Amino acid sequence: MAKEYWRWKEYNWRDEKRDWRDGKVITGGVDVGSVSSQAVIMVDGEIYAFSNMRTGSNSPDSAVNAMNWALEETGISMDDFDFIVGTGYGRVNVPYADKAITEIACHARGGNYMYGPTVRTILDMGGQDCKAILCDERGKVTNFLMNDKCAAGTGRGMEVFADLLNVSIEEVGDLSLDVEEEPPPVSSTCVVFAKSEASQLLRDGWSRSRVLAAYCSAMAHRVFSLLERVGVQKDFAITGGIAKNTGVVSRLEKELGLTALQPRHDTQIAGALGAALFATTLVEKGKGRKKSQTAVTG
Amino acid sequence: MFSKFETWYRDRHDYAKSWKEKTGGKVFGCFCSYVPEEILVAADILPVRVLGNHQPQDVTEPHLFGMFCPFCRDVLAQGLKGRYEYLDGITIAQSCIHLRQAYNSWENHVPSSFTYYLPHPMSVQTPAAVPYLKKELDNFREAVEKFIGKELTTADLDRGIQVLNENRAAMHELYSYRKGSNPQVTGLEAMWVTVSSMWIDKEEHTAELKRVLAELDSRTVERETGARLMFVGSENDDTDFIRMVESVGATVVVDDHCTGTRYFWNETPIMDDRMEALSKRYVERPACPAKDHVARTRFPHILQLARDFDAQGVILIQQKFCDPHEADMVPLRSYLEENGLPCLFLEFDVTVPLGPFRIRTEAFLEMIGEEDLF
Repeated sequence: MAKEYWRWKEYNWRDEKRDWRDGKVITGGVDVGSVSSQAVIMVDGEIYAFSNMRTGSNSPDSAVNAMNWALEETGISMDDFDFIVGTGYGRVNVPYADKAITEIACHARGGNYMYGPTVRTILDMGGQDCKAILCDERGKVTNFLMNDKCAAGTGRGMEVFADLLNVSIEEVGDLSLDVEEEPPPVSSTCVVFAKSEASQLLRDGWSRSRVLAAYCSAMAHRVFSLLERVGVQKDFAITGGIAKNTGVVSRLEKELGLTALQPRHDTQIAGALGAALFATTLVEKGKGRKKSQTAVTG
Repeated sequence: MFSKFETWYRDRHDYAKSWKEKTGGKVFGCFCSYVPEEILVAADILPVRVLGNHQPQDVTEPHLFGMFCPFCRDVLAQGLKGRYEYLDGITIAQSCIHLRQAYNSWENHVPSSFTYYLPHPMSVQTPAAVPYLKKELDNFREAVEKFIGKELTTADLDRGIQVLNENRAAMHELYSYRKGSNPQVTGLEAMWVTVSSMWIDKEEHTAELKRVLAELDSRTVERETGARLMFVGSENDDTDFIRMVESVGATVVVDDHCTGTRYFWNETPIMDDRMEALSKRYVERPACPAKDHVARTRFPHILQLARDFDAQGVILIQQKFCDPHEADMVPLRSYLEENGLPCLFLEFDVTVPLGPFRIRTEAFLEMIGEEDLF
């Protein structure tokens, strides 16, 4: 089978230094995105376990698979959760979620946790869309803009380029920076047109680095215009898969004249993390699953 | 309770055809809410607003520039596809160049026994606007008289004015039921009523509306109100969109659309000179942004509406490429936000992408509410 260069690392993680049984509040957040799905399990407001995997063709199955993988070897069962929030484009199809919240709100909340309360602008660069979000010190959205009408300049486009150039998706960013001189950006960020343009550039003798530099540059410029429209406020941070692409991030930072904050966690889990944080807050406010069940049954 | 209005909204052409069959009367298509319908009603003509049907089409490309709005495109498509073949005449009051081009193409390519372009002052804020429009309305009245073969009397005009004013008063009463903490009328229901009022015989529409109004006091509302929203912007008769908004935790309590309050908000005053009264009514009505200069009178008017109906946020709706609204959007948004009204901007096309708009709407509702989450 041919190598799938677009395939990014799917994995799960758990905090082996802690025992969840010592905690009081167990919450979950699951983000079923267009390309990737994540589940985050929190114990007393701290990340205990998470998973990060590709979304399948079926949203409910993806939600179940992501949560099962996060739960693996933890000993936690679904009955142990106090509350679970679903987010992402498949948020209404999470069969075990108690509430659905948009990924815009969840990325702001997750970004606030991940980068600290000074962050005011979060750029979520997801699989098939891109959101510029302004938020306050609590991680509450104060304004936002999403890319309109097409998914140009998002993660899926980068995956297509990785495959076209036979470069592992995780190496795309660094390789794009390996150029002596910055080439002009590809003229179209539309994935299909940009791919045609890149093929022509390769035929013209461009190196893979140069083609990737041209695409990363075009993508950075596209999201820059989105950020300009919403009005960037410091501190600035990026969530989503493309936050890991140094080729896009460094070019975007240059256009903005700002340095993005460094994350404490995998930027792909920001949405699920925000969802789990909302779940935690709701439990703390007495709106959790167990307490309301107790209230109902007396 | 509102099923008749929903049917009228949906089966607009069936209604007009059966009205024509039943009364033997004439039907005119009106291209803008600035057309003085009173004169048509006085002449026993049924005015019907020409709107689009929100379906993709392939017939308007040779007629309209690519950067003209989707609404004018959708309107022209209806004519070219023969969906208004029952019309006996068409008329437009000048408001924007996009719709005027749709009218001109329609006039050139769809046979009609009566067409009338009514010049309408763009500078409605100058003292010359009322006398200017009065003269133009006199000309329009003469053209209509010639078409029907008789002169319109003062009594005819009074009847036209009274029929329109009664409908406007009933619409105001309907909107008053949206002011309370638990509105007895949803935005979707109000849209069915308002938009259908643009093509149903006004007396029949008023009678049905009064029947509904009599029942509204005792109406039990079981749905959650959620966030109270206002819609502001270009032409909007998209029931799918407002239904979606009201299904995700919000109620649309008021609007500023030419298919909403701008259409019915002010009545024709009682004056000895009926034509001057009509002129005043159409010059002084809540302005379309195409005419709202030098001062922007819409801004305080919109803010007052938002306050009167206790709106918590505003969805700014702009037909793509709608120049008059586009020019207003940036300062209007700043003005509303400075006055404590958060805004969500959405650009409409012939069809609306409900999925992406739903995410934006839900995120907007979370932004203006959901304090429990923090």
